[in-house]
Amino acid sequence: MAVDATKLPNTAPAVEDVGTIPQWKLMVRRFRKSKLSVAGLIMLIVLYTLMFLSDFIAPYQHNRIDSNYAWAPPSQLGFANGKVVTYALKQTLDEVRFEWIYAPDLENPIPVEFFVQGYEYRLLGFIPSKLHLFGVPDGSQINLIGADKDGKDVFSRLLKGSQISLTLGFVGVLISVIIGSIVGTASGYFGGAIDNIIQRLIELLRSFPDIPLFLGLAAALPMGVPVEVRFFLITIIIAMIGWTGLAREVRAKVMAFRASDYTSAAIAAGASHWHVITRHLIPNAMSHIIVVGTLAIPGAIGSETALSFLGLGILPPAVSWGVMLRDAQTIEAITNYPWMLLPVGVLIIAVLSFYLLGDGVRDAVDPYA
Amino acid sequence: MTTEQMAPNSSINLTSHDDVVRVEDLKVSFYTQLGVVRALNGVSFNIPRGRVLGIVGESGCGKSITGLSIMQLVVGAGRTEAGRIMFREYAGQEPPVNILDYGKNSPEMRKIRGNNISMIFQEPMSSLNPCYTIGNQIEEAILLHQTNDKSEASKRAIEVLNKVGMPNPARIAASYPHELSGGMRQRAMIAMALSCNPTLLIADEPTTALDVTTEAQILDLMRGLQSEIGTSIMFITHNMGVVAQMCDEVAVMYMGRVVERATVDDIFYEPRHPYTISLLQSIPRLGRRSGKLASIEGSVPDPYSTTPGCSFHPRCPVAIKGLCDTIEPQETIVDAAKGHTVRCHLNS
Amino acid sequence: MLNFIARRLINMVVLLVVVSFVGFFIIQLPPGSILDVQLTKMRAMGGDISRDQMKAMAERYGINQPFSTRYYKWISRSVQGDFGTSFATDQSVGDRIWGRLSISLGLSLFALLFTWLVSIPIGVYSATHRYTVPDYIVTLFQFIGLAIPGFLLALVMLIVATRYFNQQVGGLYSSEYQDAPMSLAKLRNLIEHVWIAVFVLAIGATAGLTRVMRANLLDVLNMQYIQTARAKGLDEAIVIWKHAVRNAIHPLVAALGTLLPALVVGETLVAQVLSLPTIGPMYLDALRQQDMYLAGTILVLLSALLLIGNLVSDLLLAWVDPRVRLE
Repeated sequence: MAVDATKLPNTAPAVEDVGTIPQWKLMVRRFRKSKLSVAGLIMLIVLYTLMFLSDFIAPYQHNRIDSNYAWAPPSQLGFANGKVVTYALKQTLDEVRFEWIYAPDLENPIPVEFFVQGYEYRLLGFIPSKLHLFGVPDGSQINLIGADKDGKDVFSRLLKGSQISLTLGFVGVLISVIIGSIVGTASGYFGGAIDNIIQRLIELLRSFPDIPLFLGLAAALPMGVPVEVRFFLITIIIAMIGWTGLAREVRAKVMAFRASDYTSAAIAAGASHWHVITRHLIPNAMSHIIVVGTLAIPGAIGSETALSFLGLGILPPAVSWGVMLRDAQTIEAITNYPWMLLPVGVLIIAVLSFYLLGDGVRDAVDPYA
Repeated sequence: MTTEQMAPNSSINLTSHDDVVRVEDLKVSFYTQLGVVRALNGVSFNIPRGRVLGIVGESGCGKSITGLSIMQLVVGAGRTEAGRIMFREYAGQEPPVNILDYGKNSPEMRKIRGNNISMIFQEPMSSLNPCYTIGNQIEEAILLHQTNDKSEASKRAIEVLNKVGMPNPARIAASYPHELSGGMRQRAMIAMALSCNPTLLIADEPTTALDVTTEAQILDLMRGLQSEIGTSIMFITHNMGVVAQMCDEVAVMYMGRVVERATVDDIFYEPRHPYTISLLQSIPRLGRRSGKLASIEGSVPDPYSTTPGCSFHPRCPVAIKGLCDTIEPQETIVDAAKGHTVRCHLNS
Repeated sequence: MLNFIARRLINMVVLLVVVSFVGFFIIQLPPGSILDVQLTKMRAMGGDISRDQMKAMAERYGINQPFSTRYYKWISRSVQGDFGTSFATDQSVGDRIWGRLSISLGLSLFALLFTWLVSIPIGVYSATHRYTVPDYIVTLFQFIGLAIPGFLLALVMLIVATRYFNQQVGGLYSSEYQDAPMSLAKLRNLIEHVWIAVFVLAIGATAGLTRVMRANLLDVLNMQYIQTARAKGLDEAIVIWKHAVRNAIHPLVAALGTLLPALVVGETLVAQVLSLPTIGPMYLDALRQQDMYLAGTILVLLSALLLIGNLVSDLLLAWVDPRVRLE
């Protein structure tokens, strides 16, 4: 078939490959049409990269206390002798309000060094290292975005907090997607008594308003367990509450596919249940599952933050964005120390990016959109 | 063949001033993400007053878009690029109205829709709003165009339901679409379309989704009502059998163009375009068991591309190399008296 | 129709019984008996509990008795409206719950109204003007509305209101109206205090429902009956509002059931920031202080609210869509 490309207006791309290119390529093409979704994807890649490298980038340990720097404002940066420098802080006591007032000592530049030795950590969890992206000599401190009431470096805490905030919701949704897919598929495919029992169970779980149930379960968690255990338990709670909605959606999809001709044809040809489920039902429902999962992650991230904010989630000394925001609850805090609100900014970016990504993926996988 | 159903004088002048609608060189394109689809590439035909014109062609040839264009109901990325659609409400109306001069949602256009020209769609299951009763939906059109009196409107709605052969019109009027069968819904649609006595009825494959028995009933009903009311019908279908049963004249469409236009007799007995001939050969016939059913080689080319020369040449069994694949054939008159025209190099 | 309601009511009662059972199970999960909590509290305040008092309380809450007995004691008292005495404040739980629950419900109803009044027209506009600049702006605001945590918005609005509009916010009334009888001035004062709460509460749900409305309307606009309506000669506005919106509104009606309790509790963080006397902070305090009888009662009450909300939305759905009536 000859194509007279010169007659087509510029809006039309070369289209001789329509119908021959694979489905996933069409999806990628449609996804890339949505600039906002691509931006969301890029943002998430950046955030997760920062998360994986957080110990390397962070100059200090997240719970390192230095009362000399309580509520220290963001360090001022400058150039001197061709080097990046910061300035030491001059402290004066406001005797009326009994607060430290900080001012950068511009006479006293401190060079910022790169690839310095600092506290020991394990990169990606297994490579022991002491190397850090940047730092200042001992005796002074750099707080890129300020310090909190104990003089803990907010920048370091933000990075460290992302390790919990960005993974907990993700893992929770992953578990709920797995549970929801299995239960939903079983329910929709086999029907009958199995379906009935599962649907009653889901109905029961959904009779609880989720946030109170969430809080109730979180309150029942044992205190004084290691951070990892608490992390795991909260993940389980998120998954337990989240799977029901997904199971219902998967069930509806599977029932529709189950009734379709190609499934009947496969069954008539003697295909086993396993074959029908894995070859005909799951692949068809997959795109839907991915979309619903992606769009559920921001909610789960928000749940963790809210829970920690209320003091029922992750507990100090561990740090997540929700834990950090406990210090930003009052008007005084955010008017005097606005940098304490930065976790919210990062949280909004992360949540927004997941929404944008999920939205773009949905439009991309749905050929009728 | 039901030749006795055909009106006695099948001959009609092409340039008659008594056409309900004349479509002239209509071009419609769709601007999609994957490219431009040229749905109509210069469609021209006329619908004579009081007669049934069949529009035939494969899926995707532009039949439905032609119908929707006359109603100005093309939605989404569709754009009318050129052409005129001249409409005469009554015989001899001068000058005729160019429908395309009106905005899609202009009061003038809305006065034509449902009142002068109405339309029936393919899917009776989804063409009625599930939230309102049948009576309510028919009254809506009557109240819009005919009367302001609510009780008068509901009386007329029941009347028109009776006319389309509904067994218990008052009860049907009070029921919701999901309570009716497909055939009943299509009757309700016809009732709605005819409720304001339109000059032209556009029927877009109205029986395709129905079973054969119901199809026959609906066709009978439409034919009966047509001769009773005298409404012109533009009957869009891909089924040559239905054409034989319903139509006075036929326009065969291929790739957004009318390739042949003739009376129903001429189409069946003196087809000129190779595409028309292939279409006729692919009709299964009773009592003829000569092995394989004829089919047209290849399939409709992908809609994003444009074909140089005659759009049918890649599939044409008698295409002339060097001519058909380079030069686009023009519309030529085969029989001026009967209005038989064809777009094919073999006939020019 | 009556049959439908009756069946739903029976279903609801059965569910409520099971819910109360599960709810009670959850709330008695934390280690340590309620008595221990009470004892620690009394001792911290310098007093002590006599042996008789302890015995009476152990009897009242069925400590040392099997789960089923404790459940029975709790539920039978709850059904009679005796929610017990809260450990934390020694005050009748019933009065406090009802007072706070009614404030929560009032706020949530206003928020729901706001949500509907805003999300339907904006969703419709956005769908009918797809891929135009206003649509993109609406979409952007929707995402931001979804992504901003309510308490932050509350904080920001609190700052704006106090700093720039010199408004007193937080709580329900200014101090001078606290104990005054209801009057127009008091009502005005109330509105000045709660509008931020209503706005903040509603904004997340509004963003979500606007998106749903837009997506649904886009689906419905592709339906054949929309073309039928246009083919009748109806004005586009009537086609949209009479024929399309009514078919697209299902999820918004269905959301009523889940939204109401979600709003009632969703304000927990917001109420925390705005110091509103609603049920959310009360529930939270109960959980923190391990006052599990109070927490359990609230949890079950909220579940009941959810079930009632679902029933109401089902009835509304049947009213909107004749196809639902048959089932």
